[in-house]
Amino acid sequence: MTRLKSVSGAVRMTVISLIICGMIFPLVMTGIGQVAMPWQSNGSQVYFDGKSIGSELISQNFSEPVFFHPRNDSASGVDPDITMADAMSQVPRIHNATGIPEAFLNATLIKYTQRTLFFFGTPYINVLDVNLYLVEEFPAVYSQYIQ
Amino acid sequence: MLTLEDLFVVVLVWGIVIICAWFLSKYLFFVFMGARNRLDRLFLPIENLIYWLGGVDSSRKMGWKEYFKALFYLNAAQAIIAFFILMFQQSLPLNPMHYPGMSWSLALNTVLSFSSNTNLQHYNGETTLSYLSQMSAIQFLQFTSAATGLAAGVAVIRGFAGKAKTIGNFYYDYVRSLTRVLLPLAFIAAIVLIALGVPQSIGGYSSVPTLQRGAYEILYNGPIASLVSIMQLGTNGGGYFGANSAYPLQNPTQLSNLFEIGLMMFIPTAILFLFGRTVGDNREGRTLFLSAYAIYGIDLVIAFLSTTNIAQGIEVRFGGVTSAFWTVTTTAFTTGSLNASLGAFNPIVILTAFFGMLIQGAPGGIGIGAMYLIMYVIVTIFLVGLMAGRTPEYLGIKIEGRDVKLAIAAFLTHPIIILIPTVLAFAIGAEKAVGVTSNSTGFTTIFYEFTSAAANNGSDFLGAAGNTVFFNVATGIVMWLGRYLPILFLLAIADSVAVRKRSPSQGLKTGNISFVVILVVSIFILTVLTFFPFLVLGPVLQFLQGFNTSVGGVIFGF
Repeated sequence: MTRLKSVSGAVRMTVISLIICGMIFPLVMTGIGQVAMPWQSNGSQVYFDGKSIGSELISQNFSEPVFFHPRNDSASGVDPDITMADAMSQVPRIHNATGIPEAFLNATLIKYTQRTLFFFGTPYINVLDVNLYLVEEFPAVYSQYIQ
Repeated sequence: MLTLEDLFVVVLVWGIVIICAWFLSKYLFFVFMGARNRLDRLFLPIENLIYWLGGVDSSRKMGWKEYFKALFYLNAAQAIIAFFILMFQQSLPLNPMHYPGMSWSLALNTVLSFSSNTNLQHYNGETTLSYLSQMSAIQFLQFTSAATGLAAGVAVIRGFAGKAKTIGNFYYDYVRSLTRVLLPLAFIAAIVLIALGVPQSIGGYSSVPTLQRGAYEILYNGPIASLVSIMQLGTNGGGYFGANSAYPLQNPTQLSNLFEIGLMMFIPTAILFLFGRTVGDNREGRTLFLSAYAIYGIDLVIAFLSTTNIAQGIEVRFGGVTSAFWTVTTTAFTTGSLNASLGAFNPIVILTAFFGMLIQGAPGGIGIGAMYLIMYVIVTIFLVGLMAGRTPEYLGIKIEGRDVKLAIAAFLTHPIIILIPTVLAFAIGAEKAVGVTSNSTGFTTIFYEFTSAAANNGSDFLGAAGNTVFFNVATGIVMWLGRYLPILFLLAIADSVAVRKRSPSQGLKTGNISFVVILVVSIFILTVLTFFPFLVLGPVLQFLQGFNTSVGGVIFGF
């Protein structure tokens, strides 16, 4: 009898916990997220020409020589950033492919520099942000390469 | 080499977490130790409704057997319901991706893993689980296993404090853990995480054309922030994505990275202070806190010494410093979430990760870490008592033969359930099926897998590659033994000391710094001696081989 009672208590407490923690909590958070912070809640999507072109947080497949390229090996496989050193090494290639002055490209990189520890640490850039800036600055150069 | 960056990160995160944890311990004392509180007006009606609906009595004092039985039955029922959700998700709602159900062995592994607060994952969540499975199997068990651990830790502390003459009532501890601690904190944490860029939606995955012509990306989306909040707070560690907290949607920036590190440290640190408050002497809590943080700090220094560069396996936005910081912290607190690939690290960092998991109390997982520290204190006091020829005493309680036997049993559980299956895996050639070779790197991989399982940590090298029947079942069994046996033994000790006579302490003083030193040394000796041969065959040998080919190669021409 006591065993039956403790089993029934376990089952009923399981169902209650499931409803509270496994349904109400995530759904309430979804409601709050969608109403209060819809941009973040839906994946921080970047818009170009009014259309979503994916998440700012996820690396995109840039293979044309006119763009800055992401790295392919990292822990997540979709690392959206490259180190400043990596970006700098790509400047001559982009200059050759597009004719955009190297000085302009370097200045752009500096403008978009972030650091791993806010104000110090390794400098890096978000690949999509920089490429998007170039596309907007040089529409004639890039029109044949974009969607 | 230690740099200014290392120092900055540690001072910032430790400072904030320790101060917040001190205040949280005050709150936890009100929640669990029976004091009346203004918040009762809000929470009591909800809790009474839960007890009534559940048909459980939350006021009766439980002995250790009854407490454990209630805990175990509840966890078993939760694992079973989650098992069916995972196996039959294709027939359940909220599956816009039409993912099929899991195989029996993978579903078994997953529910044993999440119900035991381990969160070893032999699958990639984003390509395997429906929204319902992520919410009602994964997040659900992350909440309940954290509440279970917190309850067990509180019960052991209550027993040692002895004021209530009981270890308490499981349902009381479990429900209050959820309503007053985990749900409110996870609520706040989830909102912060959304603000920092972690998605929270159930809108389905879509494929969108990206900037370059002809390129596409799958836009993953889901109840991610709510999952990450409890996964870190509850020292669970099992992520929404296979790449865990390296995946940008689970951990978008350095700010979210440091916030998530803080979340996993928060409650386990507060429980150490709670111990001091409950026994009525903050110096006793300070002893546990300083010992745990000393070991954690030593591990961090060792990990920082071998500089980790942004290389393969490290996310650029975190850099080497906070990747190593995360890896040491996630194993010290037995969380198991990862923000980099373990393969990216120097074997020395992996060695410090092993220390965290082998010790389990530096500071350890939610509730359970404090429990292990108390176990180490008992063993240490016994050893010191033997050397000094005195009766061992703790908090004025005479430590008896049975207590020591149970503490040793809890301590030995760990080596037995790690070493036997590790050897077994190589003996039957199971490592080949998961693409692991029989060298020092391969040995580290398999040894790490079972250590992580036994310590209820969950970080691993294998990931989805570990999805074979052998590893699913073997690690599943190890995770449950590693979880419930030590809880059983420690509850038994706590229940018997709860009613034992207390006299003003004659023995070794435990509230001072010299005992901290004794305890730290004792913990290191006990664990290192136990696991020494295995550590030598794995990460130590790897390090020496690397040394041989790099530094040694240049200097000595090897």
